[in-house]
This record gives sequence, C-alpha cells and structure tokens, in this order.
Amino acid sequence: MAKLANIGDFEKLMETVKAGRESSARSVTVCCGTGCVASGAHDVIAKFQEELKTRKIDAEISSKATGCHGFCERGPLVVVFPDRIFYQRVSAEDVPEIVDETLVKDKVIERLLYSDPVSDEKITHEPDVQFYKRQQRIIFGSNGMIDPTDMDDYIGLDGYAALAKVLSDHSSDDVLDVIERSGLRGRGGAGFPTSRKWRITGAQEATPKYVICNADEGDPGAFQDRSLCEGNPHSILEGMAIGAYAIGASEAYIYVRAEYPLACKHLEIAINQAEDRGLLGDNILGTNFSLKIHIKKGAGAFVCGEESALIASIEGKPGEPIPRPPYPAEKGLWGRPTNINNVKTWASVPYIINRGADWFAGIGTEKSKGTMIFSLVGKVNNTGLVEVPMGMTLKELVEEIGGGIPGGKKLKAVQTGGPSGGCIPSELMTIPIDYEELAKVGSMMGSGGCVVMDEDTCMVDVARYFLSFTVAESCGKCTPCREGNGRLLDILVRICGGDGKEGDIELLKELAGAITDGSLCALGKTAPNPVLTTIEYFRDEYEAHIKDKCCPAKVCKSLITYSIVADNCTGCLACLKACPAGAVSGEKKQVHVIDQAKCTKCGACYEVCKFEAVSVE
Amino acid sequence: MITFKLNGTEVEVEEGTTILEAAKEHGVEIPTLCYHPAFEPYQVCRVCLVEVIKDGQSKLVPSCGYKVEEGTEVLTHSELVLKRRRTIVELILAEAPNSERVLAIAKDLGIEKSRFESKREKECILCGLCVNACNDIIKVGAIGFAKRGTQREITTPYGEFSDVCSTCGACASLCPTGVIKVEEISDSEIKPILSEFDANLSQRPCIYVPFPQAVPNRPVIDRENCMYFKTGECRICEIVCQPEAIKYDQDEEITEEEVGAVIVATGYDLYPIERMKEYGGGEYTDVIDGLQFERLLSASGPTQGEVRRPSDGRIPKRVAFFACVGSRDPEHHCSYCSKICCMYMVKHALLYKERVPDGEPVIFSIDVRTSGKGYEEFYTRAKEEAGIIYIRGKPSRIIKEGDGYEVWAINTVTGKQIRVRCDMVVLSTAIIPTVGAPELAREMRIPVDEHGFLSEVHPKLRPVESLVRGFFLAGCSQAPKDIPDTVAQASAAASKVLEMFARGEILAEPHIVWVDEDKCATCKVCIDACPYEARELDEEKKAVVVSDALCQGCGCCVAACPTGATRQKNLDDEQLSRMVEAIFEQEKEHSGSD
Ligand SMILES: Cc1cc2nc3c(=O)[nH]c(=O)nc-3n(C[C@H](O)[C@H](O)[C@H](O)COP(=O)(O)O)c2cc1C
Ligand code: FES
Repeated sequence: MAKLANIGDFEKLMETVKAGRESSARSVTVCCGTGCVASGAHDVIAKFQEELKTRKIDAEISSKATGCHGFCERGPLVVVFPDRIFYQRVSAEDVPEIVDETLVKDKVIERLLYSDPVSDEKITHEPDVQFYKRQQRIIFGSNGMIDPTDMDDYIGLDGYAALAKVLSDHSSDDVLDVIERSGLRGRGGAGFPTSRKWRITGAQEATPKYVICNADEGDPGAFQDRSLCEGNPHSILEGMAIGAYAIGASEAYIYVRAEYPLACKHLEIAINQAEDRGLLGDNILGTNFSLKIHIKKGAGAFVCGEESALIASIEGKPGEPIPRPPYPAEKGLWGRPTNINNVKTWASVPYIINRGADWFAGIGTEKSKGTMIFSLVGKVNNTGLVEVPMGMTLKELVEEIGGGIPGGKKLKAVQTGGPSGGCIPSELMTIPIDYEELAKVGSMMGSGGCVVMDEDTCMVDVARYFLSFTVAESCGKCTPCREGNGRLLDILVRICGGDGKEGDIELLKELAGAITDGSLCALGKTAPNPVLTTIEYFRDEYEAHIKDKCCPAKVCKSLITYSIVADNCTGCLACLKACPAGAVSGEKKQVHVIDQAKCTKCGACYEVCKFEAVSVE
Repeated sequence: MITFKLNGTEVEVEEGTTILEAAKEHGVEIPTLCYHPAFEPYQVCRVCLVEVIKDGQSKLVPSCGYKVEEGTEVLTHSELVLKRRRTIVELILAEAPNSERVLAIAKDLGIEKSRFESKREKECILCGLCVNACNDIIKVGAIGFAKRGTQREITTPYGEFSDVCSTCGACASLCPTGVIKVEEISDSEIKPILSEFDANLSQRPCIYVPFPQAVPNRPVIDRENCMYFKTGECRICEIVCQPEAIKYDQDEEITEEEVGAVIVATGYDLYPIERMKEYGGGEYTDVIDGLQFERLLSASGPTQGEVRRPSDGRIPKRVAFFACVGSRDPEHHCSYCSKICCMYMVKHALLYKERVPDGEPVIFSIDVRTSGKGYEEFYTRAKEEAGIIYIRGKPSRIIKEGDGYEVWAINTVTGKQIRVRCDMVVLSTAIIPTVGAPELAREMRIPVDEHGFLSEVHPKLRPVESLVRGFFLAGCSQAPKDIPDTVAQASAAASKVLEMFARGEILAEPHIVWVDEDKCATCKVCIDACPYEARELDEEKKAVVVSDALCQGCGCCVAACPTGATRQKNLDDEQLSRMVEAIFEQEKEHSGSD
C-alpha cells in the first residue's frame, strides 16, 4: 500500500474509495461482534461467502463481517443493504434462503424478521426496529457498515477526513477550541471536560508528552469499548491522532485487556494499515506531525482502568493507583505529562471535527453533550449496546429502547455506572441521562453500565453482589477500601444470611462515609454507592431482613422457606423429580412434603410446579 | 510563600509544603502511620486525613502527601475529620490490637477497643513501611506486596526465603506492629549489631550515641555496618535529620598536638570467656562476665536494671559467681591476681539480692582478698547479714542442664565434690591489658612487663613514671587496680606533670651526649642507633645535633659513632679512664692493706 505523501493524495484516495463503494449497491453484512460470534456469526458469514461464490454473484453482491451492531440479544444479525432489511437470530442454514430470496429476488423472509415485543408487529427495516429507532448512533453508527479490518471501509465513511482537516488548517489551539465548544466530556466515568484535560497536558513544559487510550473496560457486563475496538478501530486511532496533535504528543498507548483478543487484533491491524498509508507514524500526510501508537495488553484487573494504576501497569509496575495530585496531565507515564481518555471519548473526536462543535453541542443537556453508549442488561426485553443522546430519560431508555420488563413484572430500580454506581428507584426514572443528574441521585454515568431490576430483585442482595465485585477487585492498598469495603461486605453477607443486627444500617452508613471520604482512588470512594443508594431508597428492605428476618423479594436463601400448599398439590411428582437435594417426598396423587433440613432453597420445585402448590415465604 | 488558614488561624508556609509538615511547623499534631519522612508519602493508611475547604467545597485529603494550596482552609480536627479518623483507626486496630503505635493513636481518639474482630492471621496493617524501605531506601526489593484486596499481604517472591535480602533489618525496625521478622525473610545468618557499651547484651543501630553522657554527646555512624557505607544506598538518617548534620564524607581526622607530657591510661580488657573451655567457652548464653553483669544491674542498661537472663529474659533464681577466672593460674592463664574481683563480687551479689529478694547468690572462690579500707567489713556484712553463700573451691566445670546450668566443684573446706544447680553464672575474669596497649607502648618506647602491663621506673619510689621521660602511667595500663587506686595514681601522674611544667625545665641525666660538630661526618649512623629519637641532622651546621630533653644518656650513639664525634657528658674517655684508674687504685690499696 502506497504511503500518502500529502493531504492532496489523501483526498484523492478518499474520492476513489467513495466512488468504488457506491457502485456495489447491494451488499449483506453480518454482525461479527463478540455476542453474535458466540451465537454462530462466523458460520453465517462463511456460508454467505460460499453461497455467493457458488452462484457466481460474489462480484456484484459483497458480503462483510462487521463489528457489533449492539442488539446482541437477537444475534447473529444480518442486514441487507441498501434497504437495510434486518434479519435476526440467523443461522447458517438460513443463508441459502436469504441469498436466493432476498439478495437475488428482493423478497423479504418473514420468518427471520424481528417482531416487536409490545405490538407483535414484524419489522422489516433495521432503523424501524424500536431498539434502534430511539437511538442516536453516532460513534457506534458505522459499526454495522464497515469491515474493521478493511481501512477503505472506514475511509469511505469520511474516515481520517477529520485528521486531514486538522493537519491542513488547524492549529493545536483551533482543535482545543472546537473540542471545548463541543462540550465533550470524558466517557470513562468521571466526565471531566476533555478540552480542559488536553489543555492542561498541552500546557506542561516537560516533554515528551504521551497520549493514552483507556480500553481496559473492567466493569462487569460492559462491552461498549470492546465493541468499538473490534468494530471500528480506526475511529479511535484517528481521535487519538487529533488529540496528540492538539496536545503536542508523538507517542501514544492503547491499554487494552488481553481478554479482548479480537480487539487487540483489530487495533493492531488498524495501526499497521494506518502506518502503511502514512496516516500514523512519522510525518503524517507529509506534515511535521508524527505519532507512534503502541498497544499495551493488560491482564484484566478492574482497578487497572483507573488512570494512575493503568499508567503504573504500562510502566511494568503493579497496577495500583497512586495518590493524585499530581494528576497524569502533570506527571503521568514515565513521569511525563500524559493525557488519558476513554475509547469512546477518543472515538467522538473525529465526528466533532467533521460535523462541527455546534452540531455536537446541540445534542444532549446543558452540561452533558453528545451521546452515551449504554450496555443495557438485566430484566429488560431488549438487551445490548445502545447509543442515546444525553438528556434522554431513564424511562425512555428502559421502556422504549429496552422494550420494558419481561414477564409483565414491575420495574424496581435501574443501576447505572457499573459496579460502583447507585441503584435508582423506579420513582426517579424520569431523570435525564446527565452526569450531574445521575450524581444527584447517588449514582453516576460511569462507563455506561445500565442494569435493569424488576420486582423480584432483593436490593440488599444487589448491594452485596456489587460490593463483592469491588471487594474482589480492590487492590488493597489503602485502609478504607481494603478493610472498610471488606467489612461492609461482611455485614451485608450477614444481613442476607439472616444474622443482621440492630444498628447494622447505621454501621454500614458510617463505614461507607469513611470509605467514600477516605479512599485513595475512585474505586474505593465509589464502591459504597450501591449500599448507600439501596439504604436510601429501599431502607424498608434492609429493615425487613434485619428485624423481621425476611427477604421481601424472596431471594436471600437463609430467609426463605419453600413449602407445599396442600390444597393445590395434585401429587404429580414433578417437584419431587426436580429436587436435586432429595428434599421432597410423597407418593403419586398424594400431597408432597418438603424436608426443610434437606432443602437447599434452589427453587427448582417452585419453578416446575404447574399448580402453584409450592409457596415461598 | 503560601498563605492558608490552619484551624482558623492564617499561617504562611513555603510552597510545596505538605499539610502535615505545615501543621507540624505550627505546632499542630496529626496522627500518622504509614508516613515516614524518608519516603515519598505512600498515603495508604489514611489516618492523617484532614479537611480541606477550597472554593467553599470541603473534602478530606491525606495530610502527609497533600500540598498546601493558597487560600484554602485546613481543619485538622474538625468533627468530620475525627469521625472518619475514628472509623479508619478502628478498622486498623482490629488487625493490630497489640500494636503500641496503633493503640496510642486509638486512645487519643477515645477508642479503647475496635468494634471489629480481627480477620487476618498476622498483625499486619499493610502500611508498607517495610516494603518501601526495602525497595526505595535500601534498594534491595526483597519483600513486596502480594495478592490484592483483603488478601493483600507482605511477602518475599513466592513466599520463599529471599536471596537478595541483606538482613539489614530496616523493614523490621520500621514496622509499627512488630510483625516483620528478618528471619522470616532471609535464611542467611542474621548478625545483630551488638552494643559494645552494653557488653553485647543489647543491640544498637548503625548510628548511635556510644553511651549515655558520651563526650561529645553526638551520634556516630558505624561504618562497618552502615548500609550506606556498605552499598551506597539508604541515607535514611540524612533525610530525617532536620538540622542536616549528617555528613557521610566526614572522615576520621588525625590531629597533631605538641605536648610537654603524656599520661598513658589505656584501661583494661577482660580475659575472654572463650578461653575458659571448662566454663562453656562462651557457648552458654547465661554464663557472662562481670562487666556484663554490671550492665544488667545498671538502670540505663539493657534490662533497665532488672536482673534477667540474656537467653530468655527470665529472672534467675540462683546465680553463681566465680572468682579468679583466668587469674592466679600460671599454668593455664594469668599468674597474677586481678585484685578487684573479690570486692566487686560482693557488690554484685548484694545488688542481685536486693533486686531479686528470693534469689540466691553463691560465690565460689579460692580465698577472699579484702585489702583496702572498709573492705573486710563490707565482705563480712555481705556474708553474715545478707546471707550470701561462699563456697571455697574453684569450679571445674559448668554443664548445661535443661534450661539451667550445673556447676561442678570441690568444696576444699569439706573436701567433698559438689554440684550446684543455678540459672546463671557470672565469671570474674582476669584483668588483662587492653587490646593494642602493648603496641602503643612500643610506639612510645615504654617497656612492658611479661603480662603486657606498662612498666614503671621503680615499683616503690617512682610508681607513676615510665622509663621514658615525660611519659606517665595511670590506672590499669600499669597493673590491675580498683577505683581508689586508679584515682590516686592518676592524680599522682597529673601532679608529676604539673611539677615538671612548674619548674619550666627538665632535670636531665648527668651523662647525656653531645656532638663534636667538627668531627661529625653526618653519616647518620647515630640517628638510627638512638632509641629515643633524640638526634637529628642540622643541615645548616652540617652536623648531627642532640635534643637534651629527649636524650636519656643510654650511650648507644656513642658506641655507634665511627668518628668519635659523639660523646657522653661526664663520661668521656678521660673521665672513664680516671674512674678505671681510681678503681684499680682502690683495689691496690685494699690488697696492699691485706
Ligand atoms: C476503579 C476504576 C476503574 C476504571 N476503569 C476505567 C475503564 O475501564 N475505562 C475507562 O476509560 N476509564 C476507567 N476509569 C476512569 C479512568 O480513571 C479515567 O478517569 C478515564 O480513563 C479518563 O478518561 P475520560 O476523561 O475520557 O473519561 C476507571 C476508574 C476507576 C476508579
Ligand atoms: S500517614 Fe498519611 S496516609 Fe498514612
């Protein structure tokens, strides 16, 4: 691949690529994000290629494996362009039919269409799917259209145009001004204004300066960053290049967890391609600006996502946070000024340069601009990755995009922000997605976790669950986080185990206060959030556990008993057969009995009984 | 300079000062645990949290690492600070309920006991002082943190003995809970640095004041053991010394002083226990010498004056004292009597009895020599009133028996073989010349006796003068003696010096030498021959000259001089032949009269 000698060369290349793209009007894309791959997407794309080839139509109709489309719940996903006919849960066996019917004859296959869970209506076109309809897919939008290993796909969608634009006529101050006016804030959690961080780093006297992309993504259940690295790596590289240009850095690192092999691979391919083309490396597009991007694979500790721990990890030291100040902007990697941003923050930059600060600032709320990608999971009909404009309410997110709660259950709470976010009760669902608004109710934006909980969720158990994660992931360096969070967990375990004591709630709050105020890094400081918010909004559940020794949601095993309702029992033996502990006894057509001494409270009997004859109290 | 409000008062500090340092400067105490002035603040214990109010917003920060900012308000003991500090200290106390450091901090905060139960096996609070010392100060890295979260621990790589540990002990000495043990880190032999002043009964650091009331009362660095001199790393003392008094490049200096007289007072050493094979030869920890026992009795000693066994710190219930260990034994050891033992043993036995009223002192001796004013009375009182047991006989062996000892001896009064069990033995080992004293004497050309003690001119008439003019003797350099005798001799030596100085001139021997400058061939043979360095070549005169004050009139030079230029006053050839003649004449007269 020839190196582009200057900006003119690049513009020519872009024109050629775009012209080539338009001619191949019909194409098919298969989502090969991690979720779809797990459900067989590789077989689907292979089958497409084979079928197109045997029919000798592979020249006219292209097929491509793309990054994650977000609707993982329904994978493998297939989209037929240009009409964007949307097939879901596609298997390799369906492929010949799709080729024959849709690709050749232009006919829609009803069977593979997505039916709306609310209206039961079959939806033909991708943008009409409720899940996508309410989204505003900007940084995620291209994922479904490009093959992440093909650089031309990215260039065909204006890729690297922003970098070329910046290099041709922007000073570093110009770039900083655009980013400042756009109102972009860090997507890694804290929401620090990106331009301010860049300015501080840029203003430092010490050199060299470094730029880091934080792709550690340690939050359980989050895979936004992974999907971007896998699906659109060039957008991240381009954003980093623009940032490095504005800051005055010529070396950069992407810190990505080694458990993301595909992300590592695609990033590596993208870096090599960009270097070959002269879009990275020395004298980019013939200018004085050079940037070398390295990939550093992390071993996958949650705390290594914290910026100072991440830097320590790159330096080869144990991944433990160090006290700030000094901030990385002043003293970061190898003691030099370092600017660290999240994957999504970097990926937002090219769009802002291309479409303008005002366009970006026009999306969202007064203080939170642009879009946010959530990983929507839990008790919600449509799970997956969703990109929504800031300012959308949680209710809209859960009900309109998420399609509501399955099984007609009631929404109880939504937890945002990853394991250390707070649980927001259903009464507060009208708050908009906004850094400050979420913080006000005791939660946070975090890196975009969104766990939906229904009425069957025990909030004490939820707090215990999230805390058990942060306790396990704490580096253990400072007292409040190590000892304090450990003690918090002990108490929660005790409460869930039926050994709660008078005064436990106060002790939890006291400890949480010391941890929040006293911890060295944000892992510790935020870990008590789930505890504090559940006490705040669901105090009665704690009291029920402690005083009445009962779990209202009937989740905590030590506090529930399963028994047979004699009036309803038909003696069908179903529960007896299902019980793995052999705790159910009884004869056919006789009322069964559960031996409480043997019962492990697994709930299997409850699940299988068709006559509501198993009660749980 | 930066101005900020410290607990309501406006104060000024230099830029870059941490809140902790600023507070200290202004007399405000903030508790700390993981902080050490020699390290970059590690900021993990969070005991030092203080409240900082900036732009109307309050937050808690660790004062040990947080730098003071202009215009902020700092509250070191606000209600919030105390509340948070208490919780944190309780969390720490739960894991270190016996640490005095932690207990003291807890007590100041009104905490008697932690509400939390200990969960860890070791009383480690993970403050990191040991790890940081090993890594950043000693730069060895023998220990580090392993695992994470509540499992975090301090260990060597793979939990195996470290092969890089230098057993310097920095880790253990900094540990606030005492949980760090060098012997758990390294299996190399750990050589503790023993306090010379405490007769090896206690340990001392590498930088130390040699003994209380040392003059000057300043610490010295033991270069042999100091990590900085050994490896070039550490420098902790330099960092913590606020007056910046530590200077590693300070070298020993040799100063030359012109003096008119020298009093030689070298002191003495004790005959090494190692030579007394029959008494364990130094292998038995609780068989010690008199000086060691003296340290045990001292209020500033290793046990603060309590009599305790070096081996296990137990109070010994029976202590045997042996007299004449190495003294009065011409066949094996020293032939002379060390003179002071009999009396100090009485003192030791009495003091032991006083400190341990139910203790039993038993003294083994050949006989008891109490020559001195009031000595006999003292001895009698000890024996008769204090109930100190005297056994006549020199023990033949000490045998280790269980956790005590058995002394084998013959009671020469009854002629019976006896075996006495005891917990500890104090050996009154012989007084011998200080190591190096004979060499010093040789330098000074002062003769020594067969034992190495310096010789006086005349034992009765001139007991404080040495054979070299201007050199006087005092104390045990000359012979074993007790304190009164030493003081008397030292005073006498001083008087002799004063007498010499007062006269302004020295009485020379009548037959010192002179040089006939015309005859001197400047061959310098006489200079080499002179044992007193009384001769030198005078370049101007082109002849050897003699210092009248140094010349002792020994005549070596006269015999050596090949030209006959050197001559002895009052002993020239003519005088000599006259003397010879006179003698012969007397002979003749005598024989004539016969
Ligand atoms: C425990 C912990 C884990 C974190 N994990 C991540 C992460 O996985 N990805 C990330 O981008 N930021 C993470 N952060 C936030 C980073 O410290 C940092 O704020 C962020 O990378 C800055 O980028 P931004 O300004 O673009 O948000 C984490 C913070 C903490 C305290
Ligand atoms: S002394 Fe400041 S955090 Fe430990």
